[in-house]
Amino acid sequence: MSELLFQTALKELEERKEDIRPSDVVLFSEPLRSALNFVIRLGRFSLTEFAEKLEFTREQSEQLADILVARNLFAVSRFSNAEETFYESRLSAMTRPLSRPPSDIWKKID
Amino acid sequence: MSKIVSIHSFRGGTGKSNTTANIAALLAADGARVCVVDTDINSPGIHVLFNLDETEMVHSLNDYLWGKCSIEEAAHDVTGHIGGEIKGQVFLIPSSIKAGEIARILREGYDVGLLNDGFRDVVEKLELDYLLIDTHPGLNEETLLSIAISNALVIILRPDQQDYQGTAVTVDVAKKLDVPKLLMLVNKVPNSLDPEDVRTRVEQTYGATVAAVLPHSDEMMSLASSGIFSIRFPDSAVTKGLRSLVDQLKD
Repeated sequence: MSELLFQTALKELEERKEDIRPSDVVLFSEPLRSALNFVIRLGRFSLTEFAEKLEFTREQSEQLADILVARNLFAVSRFSNAEETFYESRLSAMTRPLSRPPSDIWKKID
Repeated sequence: MSKIVSIHSFRGGTGKSNTTANIAALLAADGARVCVVDTDINSPGIHVLFNLDETEMVHSLNDYLWGKCSIEEAAHDVTGHIGGEIKGQVFLIPSSIKAGEIARILREGYDVGLLNDGFRDVVEKLELDYLLIDTHPGLNEETLLSIAISNALVIILRPDQQDYQGTAVTVDVAKKLDVPKLLMLVNKVPNSLDPEDVRTRVEQTYGATVAAVLPHSDEMMSLASSGIFSIRFPDSAVTKGLRSLVDQLKD
């Protein structure tokens, strides 16, 4: 069961080609969603904490963390050492800029 | 340990900014160091409640998002503007009220990750007990970010069918984001409704704790955001409800 859940989480993250936004987290399956909610709220956390929340092996959790680093949700923290990897979470997304209306109102406001 | 609290509603006009300002004042009256961030960049207004004039705004949240200042440089100490006996401190990070600056940030967009960074930095730099985020109504990336990093979320609604339906969406999202503490606040309740009936209905509908049911208040309407209600009217039923909300946030 755990292996199936891990494969589901892995597939969800691998299929994403863009950075992970706040609205994406809501849509992830369990246990990925809860684990991400937990570590995002912590801000700084260890791989051990992430793995405990996921209930996956350390290796599986690290595989997911690597993708999350690539997707800019996690960054490896400077507090990492030989025994433990620490991460910092950073939710980000560009807000959707309003397109220019035909009347060129932005210029008038400026 | 510092707490981040988001104050949100699905629809506008529910009383978010007033509630946020009052929560800040009541926490600070008890000795807490509090910062309020106005993330309603489209329609900023909480600075009015704190009597912070546009001319006094050295920097705004907009300036921070444009990289013109640090987050703590955008924080204005408004403790002296509140009135009453305040043992703690209240800071406000306002959003710009200048039309050109609002237009610019809407036109260009911004990275909500900067808000994420700013929230964490300001908690550390100002040694805050509480960071209160006054959010834009409805769901967007910014409000989802605020909820995702918050230790507590106050969802405000009025006893109105549009509010009831929209709030269901917000509560659903809040539960998916595993907010540790979710409190409902039913505001502007007419005298014709039994507050306990309203409380029971809302709790059963959303499966969430109702922190307080605040009656419609002519005094609040007359004050018209010219000051902090709980300081001006400390014995009002509305203030009693707000104190109950604050006590539950402290737990």
